[in-house]
Amino acid sequence: MNAPALKADTTTDRHPLAGHGMSGAEVIVQVLADEGVDVLFGYSGGAILPVYDAVFRHNAMQARADGHGEAMHEAMRLVVPANEQGAGFMAAGYARASGKVGVAIVTSGPGATNMVTPVRDSMADSIPLVVICGQVGTAAIGSDAFQEAPVSNIMGACAKHVFLVTDAAQLEATVRTAFTLARSGRPGPVVVDVPKDVQNTALSFRGAGELALAGYRTRLRAVEQATLGDADCAALFDALMQAKRPLIYAGGGVIAAEAADALRGFVDAFGLPVATTLMGLGGFDSTDPLALHLLGMHGTAYANYAVEDCDFVLALGARFDDRVAGVPEKFAPRAKFIAQVDIDPAEIGKVKRVGWHHVGPLRQALERLTAWGRAHGLQPQLAAWHAHVAELKRAHPMDYDRTSALVQPYAVIEAINRHTRGRAIVSTGVGQHQMWAAQYFDFRAPRHWLTSGSMGTMGFGLPAAIGAQFAQPRKLVIDVDGDASIRMNLGELETVTTYGLPIKVVVLNNVGDGMVRQWQKLYFKGRFAASDKSLHKKDFVLAAQADGFGWARRLQRVDELEPVIAEFLAFDGPAFLEVMIDPDAGVYPMVGPGASYAQMITGDFIASRAAPATDEDATSHMF
Amino acid sequence: MHHTLSILLQNEAGALVRVAGLFAARGYNIDTLNVAPTHDPAVSRLTLSLQCDDAALGQILQQTRKLVDVLQVAHPATALAA
Ligand SMILES: Cc1ncc(C[n+]2csc(CCOP(=O)(O)OP(=O)(O)O)c2C)c(N)n1
Ligand SMILES: [Mg+2]
Repeated sequence: MNAPALKADTTTDRHPLAGHGMSGAEVIVQVLADEGVDVLFGYSGGAILPVYDAVFRHNAMQARADGHGEAMHEAMRLVVPANEQGAGFMAAGYARASGKVGVAIVTSGPGATNMVTPVRDSMADSIPLVVICGQVGTAAIGSDAFQEAPVSNIMGACAKHVFLVTDAAQLEATVRTAFTLARSGRPGPVVVDVPKDVQNTALSFRGAGELALAGYRTRLRAVEQATLGDADCAALFDALMQAKRPLIYAGGGVIAAEAADALRGFVDAFGLPVATTLMGLGGFDSTDPLALHLLGMHGTAYANYAVEDCDFVLALGARFDDRVAGVPEKFAPRAKFIAQVDIDPAEIGKVKRVGWHHVGPLRQALERLTAWGRAHGLQPQLAAWHAHVAELKRAHPMDYDRTSALVQPYAVIEAINRHTRGRAIVSTGVGQHQMWAAQYFDFRAPRHWLTSGSMGTMGFGLPAAIGAQFAQPRKLVIDVDGDASIRMNLGELETVTTYGLPIKVVVLNNVGDGMVRQWQKLYFKGRFAASDKSLHKKDFVLAAQADGFGWARRLQRVDELEPVIAEFLAFDGPAFLEVMIDPDAGVYPMVGPGASYAQMITGDFIASRAAPATDEDATSHMF
Repeated sequence: MHHTLSILLQNEAGALVRVAGLFAARGYNIDTLNVAPTHDPAVSRLTLSLQCDDAALGQILQQTRKLVDVLQVAHPATALAA
């Protein structure tokens, strides 16, 4: 590895520890402290022992400096999961709930490979992480050493970037740069692979300086400084003023860019209704009259009909992925004009050709557009469109069988929502329960909805809730999980009680992989290969009790729903609720693979606009 | 269509793998690949040729520019060059 130039130190204040002798491990911990890291998620092992030891000593020293007893207060809390995948999702939950970089530290070989899923998951959902992996000593790399894995190759294919630090002199700048990379531009996970001898090398701490990364920084600067000129604003507003039925399609970029307030301002000024992606939930208050809530494969009927009817689309931090635009040519078929704002130039026109675009920070773009439109006195006349949207919401509301003797999962979410009203942090597994939660909860503010959107990783919910509770200790955190999803990281139930986290875990138990069964019913003539769990023996309530949950109950009867939910949410400490739900409950609406929104199936309880045409082309290849 | 790309790459551990891996993961078949030193020992020049249509080319240029070690991607034959 050649020595990259160090970026000039622009700060005039010298770091108080500059010039101090430190081991590589101590340098890592000091950079984490300087970055404001107050909690680490990870699992120790041979190749990372020096770093764990340095964290221990850092905390002991800080405690002495603060005059606390050593066990009292930890400057950098270490949270140990059951499995490294749990640590990765905890770091991701922390990042999603706080907007800060989540940090995980694992050992080489199996520790690092267990981290692959959360790293890829965070890449796909643009979540900033820094993952530090121990690696075998530099001399042993490539020798099939004990617990050696080609982390740089493996992670290089799924992270935003990976560094293998073979020159200890570059360690400090590399760790600092990892944070810059993780949070800048389109955020993502950055992996730093640190051989054990590098952790043990005696170094002199500099206290400042990052790697040059000339190419990345030049491109980043261009994107961050991109502004909308008068002509750009005029072009967008020309199209908007001609539109009769304009719509905003808001994605996760609204949340990543901290642009929810700017979006609110834009909507207040110009009155466009807002449909939100799974990742964008919370980016716009779902209780607002102009909110259409979720769009796409399992979007609300009124959101999807509005997309069918609109003649103008403004895509904000959204990428027309296949859960939204399954058939790109059929998405928003009446739109005469599509505009897109994104921080990532590669997303512009990737799926759908757009007539106007801007690559730059979303908050600034929306503020500029709002100011420009207001300054020019532009006020789209949308009364007829607003009436149309209101009528869609009135005529096609979310609904289900309210007379069933079986507990309906939708009713469970509604009952929780009556208490939380969009103010609790909700995480989920993946499957039907995830979609029901997305559809039936209110979302009033960003960073309250934590779900594995792009990867759709079962097992995400419980560890993500743990990470979120560390980020927001005073918030109510609820994991809405599936019986199959929660099994994937069930070991983390114990982590909840070990750290005394007052997390509420609710499992919607439909005795199997409900979402898989839904597709098998639709596309495989009801052959439930491997998706039925009625022969499984686990008693979830006993399992929760065994892991120390002071409140653990099973709910089976409809008349128990309200009082049990109230007691569950009010419990002061970790609480676990298993709800035996109607195993045949389905997720509706559904835009099947290969179908257009017009062909959406709405089920028996949501009014459809027209009898959906059965789509001959429907296949299951997109599951 | 046949296209030739010229990529300036920082000589970091794994940098070449990441470029090749990106093309493989996104389904682009590399016809030829040449790696050569430049006057700066910290920088290599990759010359890479492949077959793809224009839309795919635009996408592959943008995706390649997202690689952190990539200093510059040029497609000398078109105005898409950066
Ligand atoms: C790690 C992982 N493996 C497999 C899948 C495929 N998959 C998607 S949903 C699902 C079923 C989930 O079952 P459960 O968690 O009980 O949720 P439900 O659909 O029953 O609400 C499966 C197997 C996945 N998304 N993630
Ligand atoms: Mg299930």
